[in-house]
Order: sequence, then structure tokens, then C-alpha cells
Amino acid sequence: MISRPFRLTDTAFTALGAGRPSGETLGTLRRAERTRHLLLLRQTLRRVSDTPGWYADPPDDPMTALWAAAGQASPSPQRLTAESGGLTLTVRLEDSDPIRSRLGLTPAPPLTPAEREHWRTCLEQAWEVLVRRHRPAAETMAAVLRVIVPVLPDPSAEGISATSAEAFGAVAMSSPADPDALAAGLLHETQHSVLNATHLLFDLVVPGGPTGYSPWRDDPRPAFGVLHGAYAYLAVTRFRRAEPGRAAAFEFARWRSAVAGAAAGLLAGDELTPAGVRFTTALLAEVEPWLADPVEPEIQRRADAANAGHRARWRVRNLTVPPEDVARLVAAWHAGTTPPPVTGVLRERDGHDERDEPTGRALANPARYDATVLPSYPSSEVVLALTHALPDVPENVITEWLSSCT
Amino acid sequence: MLIDLSAVPLADLVEQDDSVLARALRRVTEEATRGEPIAGFNSAL
Repeated sequence: MISRPFRLTDTAFTALGAGRPSGETLGTLRRAERTRHLLLLRQTLRRVSDTPGWYADPPDDPMTALWAAAGQASPSPQRLTAESGGLTLTVRLEDSDPIRSRLGLTPAPPLTPAEREHWRTCLEQAWEVLVRRHRPAAETMAAVLRVIVPVLPDPSAEGISATSAEAFGAVAMSSPADPDALAAGLLHETQHSVLNATHLLFDLVVPGGPTGYSPWRDDPRPAFGVLHGAYAYLAVTRFRRAEPGRAAAFEFARWRSAVAGAAAGLLAGDELTPAGVRFTTALLAEVEPWLADPVEPEIQRRADAANAGHRARWRVRNLTVPPEDVARLVAAWHAGTTPPPVTGVLRERDGHDERDEPTGRALANPARYDATVLPSYPSSEVVLALTHALPDVPENVITEWLSSCT
Repeated sequence: MLIDLSAVPLADLVEQDDSVLARALRRVTEEATRGEPIAGFNSAL
């Protein structure tokens, strides 16, 4: 058996980090994933006595990979094909295979003809836009995306989707609101698959590192999770950059700074490997010039407020101020001195959903933080802790006092 | 670094059992699978 190690040139790796992989690079990633599938299939075949049902299927099918990872077998559904400008996207709309539940979201029941038609119409229109205005991204998508698994919507979200590292090229997604949402969602999820395949070849982060802030999540995330978000939103930001309308401008303004901030934060930390540093440096270099793009001031203001508000809510939700630090602040308040520098620490996880806490008067109206507390004092968890410790002192007075130490 | 086995017939891989294969297996089943398998997107953000 003759085999060679996978390699990418510096140029190819940099382009990959910038979210602009060449066709050759995508071919390498596909072969890497096929290698992974084959090795998993080998392991399963050596474990079982009967020939599994998936044995006859092409091993680079992402759902076959899921069957292999589960050590079991599968049925066969319908294909959607979208064609525009000489570029074709062919995906399987997978609504029956029981293994689809392993993609991380609750599968929708088998589609009705009307639901299937909605997917088909949205995909055709989304593909038209992608090919016409975002051809390189469309080429990447055509090279990666193979399966869409419809999932149940989240009542609190406009749309949800997910990608599994065990199923390169498969996307779990709730029914899209419109072609625009489908285009953005598929671009986003395609990036996750590309990054997962990259991670198969290169260690990008040091395992076991601390968790921290991610602009796209309510919970603390490991470095690789932050990188996943930044890489996925890099594609969404690039998409919004070239799309017309105020909604696209808002998303572009919001995500460009979120992506740049997340990448810069990763580079400032210790969790990236040397390959991860190169990858993330390329990512940051791609998005940084977009920060200078002109955006209508009111849209930019709203985008900045949305980012600041998310960060403030995240801090209140996930950080706490140790009692001894609260005591120091209270003592300084009563002594009439300037507040000592204090910052929150991550709450200890105790198994229950952290999103249920905390509660308190400051959280009764979390939106208030967006416009008032945050710009003058970023540590919203400190404000919250002190408003509890000094219930008779107006919040704006506490905020002003805390700001005097920044 | 993972080796390229994408063109190797599955039947050959099933028969093969050496250190090169063991290293590749370790890469796909241990090293590259550390962390969460699912990455997600919630447009309600």
C-alpha cells in the first residue's frame, strides 16, 4: 500500500485561512475526509460479521460516514439540483434516514410535497444569487455540500442549522424563511465543514484550553469553537458585503467587527498552535480591510450597539464577581475612594443550564445595558454585582463611580 | 500529519494492519476528534 502524507503549500494554507480555498485545496480536503471515512469503515468492518448495508455505497457520502461512526446501516431519498451560470449544485434532501439525528439538531418528519417544493424554490433562487454575485463561494459550496437534513425550527430563532465534524458536506437546517436566509445559512455551514476537514490535517488549537467569549454564542466557548464561529461568519460577512439593502449592511457592519475581534482575541491568547496562528492571521488579514468600508452611520451605530449588547449580556450571564472583590468595592464606596480594578470570573458549571441564571433587577431589563452601562463601563457583571450589594444606590450612580477607575 | 488513503480500496484497508495505518487511525479517531463534534448557527443572535 503506497500512501503519501497530505500537504498544503503556504500559499494554499493562507488562502484557506482567508476563506478562499482553491479547487485544488478543496480536493485535498475531500480526500482527507474520504480517508477518514475509509478508516472508520475499516474499523467497523473488522468488528462486524455481516456485511453492513452501507458497504456498497460510496464511502465519501457524509451520511455513510455517520453510519460508519455509529457502526451500523441506511435507506435512500431525493436530490435537489440547482444550476446557474454553468455551475451546478446537487444536494440530497435527507428527510428519512434515522441516522440524521446525529447531526446535532432534532430532525423534521418526512417532508410534505409543499415543504419539498419550498426547499427546491429557495435553493434555486439562493443558488442564482450565489453564482451571480458570489461565484468563488458558490464554487466552494458546490465542492463541499452534499446533504441537507431538514430539522425542526427553534421557536426562539428565525432559523437554526448545524454541521457535524463526523459528516463533511452535510448540513442540518430548519426550513429557510427565504432564499437569502438559505444562502447565508449554507455559506455558514459550508465553512464549518471546510474547517473541520482542515482540522483533520492540521492541529489548529491546543486542546484543553480555557473557554471565553464568542460573539455568536451565549455560553463560554473553547478556542476552537471561537475559531469555528469566526471562520463561518467570515463567509457570511463577505456575502453581506456584496448584498444590497440596509439589512445586509447591518449584518455586514456587525459581523465584520465581530469576526475581526474574535480572530484578534485568538491571536492574543495562547490557545493556537503555530498552524492555528497562521490560519487565524490569514483570517484576520482578510476581514481587516473590510473594517474601513463605509457604512451608513446609523446602521453602524446599531451594529456596534448589538455587538456591545451581546457582550454585556454574555458577561452578566457567564461571569461572576468573587465575594471578596464585591466586599472591596463596597468598602471603597463607603470610604469615598476610587473603585479598585475588579473583573468577573467564569461561573463554575454545576450541570444545570447556565442560561437560567442569574436573576436580579439589572437583568430585568437587559436591553438597558446596551445603551447606558456598557459604553462607560464594559464589565457589566461588576455593575450587576454592585447593584445587588448596594441596593439603595441608584444604578446610574454606581455606573458613574465604577467608570472612574477605567 | 494524515496520510492519503483515499484511493486505497476498502478491502485492502481491512486486510492491512501496520504502524502506518495505526498512526492514521489514531489521527482520525483520537487527535482530530478532540473537541465538540457539532458546530452550529443560530440566526436569532
